[in-house]
Amino acid sequence: MTCEEFATAGLDLGSPGVDGLLQKAALEHLRECPHCAALHENWLALREDLRVLGAETSESEAPSRVEMRLRQEFRTKHKTVKTQRTALILGWSLAAAAALFFAVAWVNWQMHRGMNLAKTQPNFVHVPVAAGNASTLSQVNAPAGSELGDVIVASNGSGDFTLLPDSMPPAPEDATVVRVQMQRAALEGLGLTVNEEHAGDWIQVDLLVGDDGLPQAVRLPQTATETTN
Amino acid sequence: MKAGVTPGEMQIESHETDDALLKRSAKGDERAFTELYRRHQAPLYRFAVRMTGSTWAAEEIVQDVFMMLVREPKKYDVDRGTMGAFLYGVARNRIMKHLERAPREFSLDERGDGHEIHPQLHEQMTPARWAELRERREQVRLAVMELPPEFREAVVLCELEEMSYDEAAHTLDCPVGTIRSRLHRGRALLLAKLEMLREVPKRANASRG
Repeated sequence: MTCEEFATAGLDLGSPGVDGLLQKAALEHLRECPHCAALHENWLALREDLRVLGAETSESEAPSRVEMRLRQEFRTKHKTVKTQRTALILGWSLAAAAALFFAVAWVNWQMHRGMNLAKTQPNFVHVPVAAGNASTLSQVNAPAGSELGDVIVASNGSGDFTLLPDSMPPAPEDATVVRVQMQRAALEGLGLTVNEEHAGDWIQVDLLVGDDGLPQAVRLPQTATETTN
Repeated sequence: MKAGVTPGEMQIESHETDDALLKRSAKGDERAFTELYRRHQAPLYRFAVRMTGSTWAAEEIVQDVFMMLVREPKKYDVDRGTMGAFLYGVARNRIMKHLERAPREFSLDERGDGHEIHPQLHEQMTPARWAELRERREQVRLAVMELPPEFREAVVLCELEEMSYDEAAHTLDCPVGTIRSRLHRGRALLLAKLEMLREVPKRANASRG
């Protein structure tokens, strides 16, 4: 073994895990070389110093204030996360509740509005009626048109009805508008005068029927009036 | 249930793995975090003190390492190594940053924090011998502190912490050969430094004679 090799590997002499042959060669070199023997001696002294230095500080630990600070930080961090999560959940819950409330309120309002409309506006019914059979109009009591198979219910746009003789104007909520097709001559049955030239014409007539089922007023829609006159 | 543990508290088993503790800690279990800290703080602190030469800096470094564990527990991957090696790696990075920032920074309270090195005063030991030993230890400590960081960490781990080459290589995440060569250079530098210091009084005495 050369001095250079000893300086590289020889200082591990005596350490566990060092190759036996290497140790033997290093020991032989130590006996032959006083320089390397002095180096080794110095190293042993230094190693001892290092071991003592290590042993003297081997029990040292981080001061307890470090643990306290870390635990405080840990609590703060997890508390913040928990708070944020709670706030988020609460926020979403409130938003969902508000949305639900508005949805329910809107549906209620719509339903209420629909019912009010139904109450205030007379129904509009379309019924074909044969001429000379005006008395059957009293049979057409239109309950919102729901159970009349081919009855068409529509809203009433213009309200220019002519009261029939000996009739009282009905309250709007009790009245039903019934649209019928009849021969003009059938209007005589309702007490109206009819031009005889057009007595056989088929016309559309809106009848305002009271809650007693009897027509109270009559209206000739615009198109029907044009064609019949 | 063990005595002293209230029903509401989670019980920490001493044999519980670091990984399990970290998972519980990440979920907000403070006791698990404390257990993890107590398991690993001492070697990290010693490593930091020996590397920086400052208890103040070592305290900050240990705090930083565990703060990282609080804030980003997912940084530790159990498949990549042990928790100890991971924490050493993080501490080492912090130490290197500290040394780059203040390579010659020493704490002013270094002498008064109870961590300074004093040889035990035995009955047979004279005050002169005690002072000599104390001076020698201080010289060794300063010589270690003056080593370049990469040699210093090899010396600290293998000579002061008495780790095997394999353990040191694992801790520093480098090949065993690198540890060997760094240790060799570190020892040579230490010997040179201490030899030089030893020579100084001789020369001084010679010049007086």
